[in-house]
Amino acid sequence: MEHALTKRPLIRRKTLDRIGLLFAALVMVSPVVLFFLWMISLSLKYEIDNGAYPPILIPENFAWSNYVQVFRENNFFLYFWNSVLVTGAATLLALIIGVPAGYGIARLKADKAAMVIMIARMTPGLSFLIPLFLLFQWLNLLGTLWPQIIIHLVVTVPIVVWIMIGYFETTPMELEEAASIDGATPWQVFRLVALPIAKPGIVVAFILALIFSWNNFVFGIVLASRTTRTLPVAVYNMLSFEQVSWGPLAAAALIVTLPVLVLTLFAQKQIVAGLTAGAVKGG
Amino acid sequence: MATVTLHNIQKRFGAVNVIQDLSVDIADGEFVVLVGPSGCGKSTLLRMVAGLEEVSGGEIRIGAREVSNLPARDRDIAMVFQNYALYPHMTVEDNMGFALKLKRANPADTAERVKKAAAILGLENLLQRYPRQLSGGQRQRVAMGRAIVRNPQVFLFDEPLSNLDAKLRVVMRSEIKAMHQRIGTTTIYVTHDQIEAMTMADKIVVLHDGNIEQVGAPLELYDRPANLFVAGFIGSPAMNFLDGKIEEGVFRTEKGLILPLPAEVSPAKAGGRPLVYGIRPEHIRASDQGIQGRAAIVEGTGSEIFAKLDCGGEQLSCLFRKRIDVRFGDTVSISIDAKQVHLFDKATGHRL
Repeated sequence: MEHALTKRPLIRRKTLDRIGLLFAALVMVSPVVLFFLWMISLSLKYEIDNGAYPPILIPENFAWSNYVQVFRENNFFLYFWNSVLVTGAATLLALIIGVPAGYGIARLKADKAAMVIMIARMTPGLSFLIPLFLLFQWLNLLGTLWPQIIIHLVVTVPIVVWIMIGYFETTPMELEEAASIDGATPWQVFRLVALPIAKPGIVVAFILALIFSWNNFVFGIVLASRTTRTLPVAVYNMLSFEQVSWGPLAAAALIVTLPVLVLTLFAQKQIVAGLTAGAVKGG
Repeated sequence: MATVTLHNIQKRFGAVNVIQDLSVDIADGEFVVLVGPSGCGKSTLLRMVAGLEEVSGGEIRIGAREVSNLPARDRDIAMVFQNYALYPHMTVEDNMGFALKLKRANPADTAERVKKAAAILGLENLLQRYPRQLSGGQRQRVAMGRAIVRNPQVFLFDEPLSNLDAKLRVVMRSEIKAMHQRIGTTTIYVTHDQIEAMTMADKIVVLHDGNIEQVGAPLELYDRPANLFVAGFIGSPAMNFLDGKIEEGVFRTEKGLILPLPAEVSPAKAGGRPLVYGIRPEHIRASDQGIQGRAAIVEGTGSEIFAKLDCGGEQLSCLFRKRIDVRFGDTVSISIDAKQVHLFDKATGHRL
């Protein structure tokens, strides 16, 4: 009897807590969720439903033609392939440069070098654009994807370096000392001990660099020509040429967002871990 | 196997002198324990022998080879770390064979040596496991295995047992000692635990504030501590210290307690100046007559009774091996074995 009395309010309390938490979470994410729902709705509506009042969220007939139009009227596959090449190359190069750099900075406690990279990241990307544009013009690279790959490094390298610094700082020094006593050269210590242990960090750095590079718009709009456009630029160009034809635009935006969205959903645990790595010592 | 010679070793971190002019000779096959309170420089000294820390002055020799400026990988030593430092991404077998793999040893030979070391340490069934799947004691064994497989000239241990629980620590202590007796490799072992030092060492080096307080065999340190620091550090429970002077052939403490003197002390020589009287708790016996003390603390473990007695204002810790009936507040008569008394100069701390 006594047991039941004490237990019931506790359960009710817990339920209330849970409802409160859900509500708070809903309030915080609702703008984002609504935005996405509206985008999905737009991409599936005919032009005529867009201006309807009261607004229609779920149309009676789905306008799949919007998606077909995206692929038919634009060279969408080319742009997709451009995006894959630019993002892929910029991310891989950033890993090749950034992982050893992060290791060096973490082990030598080269905080000033880390600050320089941070400053490069904080400087508006546009300020790099003009000198680099002239440089690429001079090098005759403007018709190729190389200018975009190189300038995306401004985004991807700092992310990789900073995440890897955090990771390497949390790997115990004793492991590397043990390896050097076992006869490893500094390069072997890095390759055979530090690198394998930092694998989760590398995965996170890879994913985040990928997301930031994929979504980048500013560099592309300046540097891309008609045949070297990446997806975000292609979507923007739809806006200018088609007047405002909302359906295909929303469809295109969704297609562009989808890879990153899926990646984020699958890797959210690692992403959070990577962003907070080093925040708590030994955590 | 090799001798290890530390000659006038110095270590400075910036302006801080951690080790000042320290010299030790370690014989081939000897088990030497560096012991001292935390911050005494023992770990720094070991890391300098390992090559993980640069020396600020002096020289280190392993055998005839001067290694002070060689990187760790060229010193032919093996080290067991406090937190084991096992490579988390390698199996036990790979952990143990890592050094040989780096040397590009023949894989069949490596496997053979790993198997042999695993047999010594009882790890045969764990070779395919990862470190995270092992218990603390097993990890400790793997760390030792990694050292054995190398067949190095010197073993270094940096407080290897401090992460283990009390029971396992005793087991591993004897295992390490047994391993040394079997393999006979020169060993330098760092600990802050004087029991570990006493039970394992051929030779103990007591360090304090970067200086050597005394070097000697365990029983030498116990029987004839060179100064107050060693006397207080070696032995558990710690030695009783009583301030006073020699007057008329006896020792009189500041609070007036009269204590017996060893025969070899000449009162004429030591009389007059302030001294410290040292007597170990285990050298005080309960007797029918003698010094009277009131029991302030009584702790029995079954095999012995520890009591803190208030003898005319002086506190005396006593360890009785004979079971006596004593409770809090009881008055106990004790006698002190005069042959076991240590006298120190109060001003210098040195043994008389």
